[in-house]
Amino acid sequence: MKLYNYANATNPRRVRMFLAEKGIEVPMVTVDLMKGEHRSAEFLARDPAGRLPLLELDDGSYLSESVAICRYFDALQPEPPLFGRNAREIAEIEMWQRRAELELYLPISNAFRHSSPAAKALQPVQVAEWAALCRERAGECMGWIDTRLKDREYLAGALFSIADITAFCALGLGTNTRTIEISGDLENLQRWRQLVGERPSAAA
Amino acid sequence: MKLYDHPIAPNPRRVRVFLTEKGVSIPTETIDLLKGEHRTPEFLALDPLGRVPLLVLDNGACLAESVSICRYFEALHPTPCLFGEDAEAQAFIDMWQRRVELELFLPIAYAVRHGIDMFQALEPVQLADWAELSAKRANQAMIWLDRTLAERPFIAGENFSVADITAMCAFDFSLAVGGPKLPENLANLRRWRDQVSDRPSAAA
Repeated sequence: MKLYNYANATNPRRVRMFLAEKGIEVPMVTVDLMKGEHRSAEFLARDPAGRLPLLELDDGSYLSESVAICRYFDALQPEPPLFGRNAREIAEIEMWQRRAELELYLPISNAFRHSSPAAKALQPVQVAEWAALCRERAGECMGWIDTRLKDREYLAGALFSIADITAFCALGLGTNTRTIEISGDLENLQRWRQLVGERPSAAA
Repeated sequence: MKLYDHPIAPNPRRVRVFLTEKGVSIPTETIDLLKGEHRTPEFLALDPLGRVPLLVLDNGACLAESVSICRYFEALHPTPCLFGEDAEAQAFIDMWQRRVELELFLPIAYAVRHGIDMFQALEPVQLADWAELSAKRANQAMIWLDRTLAERPFIAGENFSVADITAMCAFDFSLAVGGPKLPENLANLRRWRDQVSDRPSAAA
């Protein structure tokens, strides 16, 4: 098994953090996105969409999509549970993972891709108004996540899960690229971010 | 248990098709999105984001997000299996479900919400440039889906799965409201659509 990875990209980081939580080590190969290595004929032969992360399985098949890769490792090694242990937990974690992804990560990523000069290579046609709308949505989302975290330790409840990994990596992208600022008023979100940031997996 | 539903919106339909495939029947109640019934205090008390579909469990807990609701029923009623039997099948079905959702369903939703007057009720700031870019992305997705379907009957492989439900609901919604069309020359995609549309669940 082999994981095609890039240190400074958010989706590969979600998988690295997940693997660190599971205590699983997988050999990694760097594909330099900034040098366009994901557009090389060699890489496109592995994944025609040219996306990272990409997992090469032992039978030579290729699995892409960060959450699908995480789910694969979760099925192979259920402990510690990061996708839930029963119907109710599985559904609730999926709900918060999706909300973290669709309401926080996607708006932050779109705001970055459609406004930053550094992202022009990834997003040749940038729509500035779309970036502004997404930044606003990310702000609203941080607000309701803050409210949710008022009486919960983690996004989906008492259990640290894939939903926290997605939200944490999304905020990392947003603040590292200065796409968003996390208001000091959002005390619960700040507390949660610090808590997750202290986990050893946050360094992955 | 009760499902808050809407007859035309694509996300509630994903759940209805899924439940029909499972042979599960549950009471539903319509929330009229165009009348803003998802923005009433009563509904926002159930889900602060005001989204449909929403499943209220017998203990009063609310589960949002179409795929989370489907996963809940998959855990309760494993047959017929729509999310994959083993680690590998689960991972690849998740990969395809995510690709279809992120590359086809979402761009269609953006193209429709930002490009069609009627949807201004849901999307007050409509961005024509974003609608156009999204329609192009949806078309690219149709092309690679067509290529994928040249080699197999269903999107994720030999078996019908939640990935097919997501794609079918995206296409049907787009065609019903005047969004991006399915090009005539994509014969494999058309063959697949005829095939999934013949299933009894397509009427859900």
